[in-house]
Amino acid sequence: MTEIIIKVGGQAGQGANITGRTLCKIFARSGLNVIGYPEYPSLVRGGHNVYQIRVCREKIYSPLEKANILIALNTDAVFFHHKHMLEPGAILCDSKLDLTKYKLDKKIKLYTLPIDEILQKAQADKRMENIILTGALLSLIKYPIDDLNKMLEETFGKKGKDVVEANINCAKIAYNYVKENLKPEEFPMKMERGNEKPKMVIGGNEAVGIGAIAGGLKFYAAYPMTPASGVLHYLAEVERKAGIVVKHTEDEIAAINYAIGASFAGARAMTGSSGGGFALMTETIGMSALAETPLVIYLAQRTGPSTGMPTWTEQADLKFALNSSQGDFLRIVYAPGTIEESFKLAAEALNMADKYQLPVFILSDKFLAESHFSCEPFDNSEIKNNRGKIAGTLPNLNPMERFRRYEITKNGVSVRSLPGQENGMHVATSYVHDETGFSTESFTKRFEMVNKLNKKLDGILKDIPMPKIYGTDNAEITFICWGSQLLPVLDSLPILKEFGISANAIHFSIVFPLDEKKILEIFKKCKKTIMVENNSTAQFAGILREYTGFVPDYYILRYDGRQHFPESIAKNAKKIIDSGFKCEKTIHIKETEDIEYYNTQRYGL
Amino acid sequence: MNIADLNINERPQWCPGCGNFGILMGIKSSLAELGLEQKDIVVVSGIGCNSKLPHYLNTYGYEGLHGRTLPLASGIKISNRKLTVIALSGDGDGYGEGAQHFTHICRRNYDMTYLVHNNQIYGLTTGQASPTTQKGQKTKSTPFGVLETQYNPIANAIINGATYVARTFAGDMNHMKEMIKGAIKHKGFSLVDIFQPCVTFNKLNTYQWFQEKVYKLSETDYRPDDFHKAIEKAYEDVWTDYKKLPIGVFYKVDKPTYEGELPQLKENELVGQEITNIKIDHLVKEFM
Repeated sequence: MTEIIIKVGGQAGQGANITGRTLCKIFARSGLNVIGYPEYPSLVRGGHNVYQIRVCREKIYSPLEKANILIALNTDAVFFHHKHMLEPGAILCDSKLDLTKYKLDKKIKLYTLPIDEILQKAQADKRMENIILTGALLSLIKYPIDDLNKMLEETFGKKGKDVVEANINCAKIAYNYVKENLKPEEFPMKMERGNEKPKMVIGGNEAVGIGAIAGGLKFYAAYPMTPASGVLHYLAEVERKAGIVVKHTEDEIAAINYAIGASFAGARAMTGSSGGGFALMTETIGMSALAETPLVIYLAQRTGPSTGMPTWTEQADLKFALNSSQGDFLRIVYAPGTIEESFKLAAEALNMADKYQLPVFILSDKFLAESHFSCEPFDNSEIKNNRGKIAGTLPNLNPMERFRRYEITKNGVSVRSLPGQENGMHVATSYVHDETGFSTESFTKRFEMVNKLNKKLDGILKDIPMPKIYGTDNAEITFICWGSQLLPVLDSLPILKEFGISANAIHFSIVFPLDEKKILEIFKKCKKTIMVENNSTAQFAGILREYTGFVPDYYILRYDGRQHFPESIAKNAKKIIDSGFKCEKTIHIKETEDIEYYNTQRYGL
Repeated sequence: MNIADLNINERPQWCPGCGNFGILMGIKSSLAELGLEQKDIVVVSGIGCNSKLPHYLNTYGYEGLHGRTLPLASGIKISNRKLTVIALSGDGDGYGEGAQHFTHICRRNYDMTYLVHNNQIYGLTTGQASPTTQKGQKTKSTPFGVLETQYNPIANAIINGATYVARTFAGDMNHMKEMIKGAIKHKGFSLVDIFQPCVTFNKLNTYQWFQEKVYKLSETDYRPDDFHKAIEKAYEDVWTDYKKLPIGVFYKVDKPTYEGELPQLKENELVGQEITNIKIDHLVKEFM
């Protein structure tokens, strides 16, 4: 594979993220594949931020643990990352940085630039430091500078010619400085333009946002909480262009109730949150089910419990989502595994919510939600929006009579009437009710209504696709995963192949409901199975066992705040095989080095 | 539509003599007199004795969750501004559990009406103190008397930006109708706090107690257009040690509504739009 892994590191506020995103966009515009992966602590200034850019000619899915090139915006970046470099490896930074206290591996090449001088020459201000390093990086890997120049014109065009020129000058001078003084030809890494159709680069949150718009979303209400806020920010930014309304409400309880109100009125609606914010919403989820008001909830998981580690990732809210809100009731839980699925399933979730008139979850996590991925430009031609059973012209009602909104039907779904519609008057209620919506405590009605709601399961099971199988048939080992952890699993397959191990993966992008028969049929074909989850108790394995009886052979679990990485999945799967399948059933993955980006003062930084 | 069209073939499940019967009648006659159509009315409630009301009214309704009337009603109004949205609540539901929503909805000035059945006690949960229970009153949850200062919904609504703030008494049908009709006609967020005797659990604030103390602001030279005077008036009950309880419009001002300031709603409502042919190319382009 022709690939280069770059990390941009610095203090929060120094621009590691925006520099990384710019690079991703440059590469994707020529058709190259990129993954952009940010890591940052929960603070606004200080601490340490790093953004990884993995660029590759071939299709890739996940960030990796180590990097070839470190763009160090401060010395902390060198402290944190110099021990995690690949060969060939290089550090690129300002010549002002004093790196003498770090024992750099001799194989790591150091490339430094006189940034102040370049800024002066370019008549630019300090904020353009990152542009200098971006230009220098492109020069180091022998990538043409034209794409960067074009992007600077687009980005700063509105700020006037002078700003554009100063930026382009910075980039050019840095590009030429490296070329003329630092012998980039001796650094053995090179990336050529992809020369393919441009790809888009988008984050998981934004993909869900566009997917929802494509799915007919008209109203989104939320209260900010990392990592779900990205959807709120994105939809708020485009609300006028997209003709939707986005409301940042006073709290999450209000957000979900606004969404229910909008949906009842007839607008497709969604809400979103994370962790504790979602916890506040739970009461209303049961109301969506009982009053049969369609609702989509975007839940982006982060490291819990409680406030946990806000900017880190985990897949530990699955059981909470499945059991949130009091009482027994049906719901659908999507867990997109890729950027494309984030887009498609957001639209699908809105369609299924309308079709079955119940709550539908989109379960993501910080890793998928805030990472950036190159992909083919989203195309919604295959998304078929369908409002489900909404009444057309209704027959006249007798005096004092109400529309039978909750009529018992074969498949459990009744015709909805929307406020404003003639002869459709009814009351939706959070109480158990009869067919007109009138509250009742009749045992018979209660029994019938529960059966009506449960009936929807048959239709849903027919509608939802089976888990997807990635990789070769007859593999020695099969990984089972759900949601975002598909990404590192997929990139572990070629590593295992190099080890001489054939592996494939079964991925669940719908984690509930589960079709016992069909799923067991798929598992029958597996030799040894390894469950890969980003939590400490293998929550999905528990769900699978409850609904299908299936028990995987091994578990690889990670719950230190990071998602799985392909290298460690491959390494640990190999360990299992090398033991002749006689090792411990569960492997808990832990970072080899105790590091943190939050309290950097503990390292004297 | 006439008042009979709003009837429904169900008997209200309230205690005999409950103030809610009067309020139901007040709402029905207001809606009929305003010439609204049943299909265009949505009455939204939370949980409490008052919240059963949508069931006894032949319009659209949503009986939601305790304290959550206002956000639910807001979502409906933003999505379809053609609807007349009336949110109902009680003092526990609206001023206790849902006080944060009340604060913020006043700031937003949606064009909707909020009717609070204020009986100064929890009814459905059988007689505990509510935010508007008077200091010192003994209830099931405060057997030694309430220690807290009484919540002042009128003052709260005014300081947070509500544009029509009124109070009425469930024992005075004509006044109640006048206030409710005024609230529905007002373009903006209107609060009508309704003194409602609870015949079962509140032995202090009875019909007779109210009748002796209420007086109509419209019969004085009070004008509801002065912010500071309105706040002063909102405290008259406390400052007169509940000897004088003003009812009527405390404050009224015209301000733009939240939903009226959304350019994306200039030509369309959120509901009723075709969603089979959505364009996303212009959005995708931003990520190229």
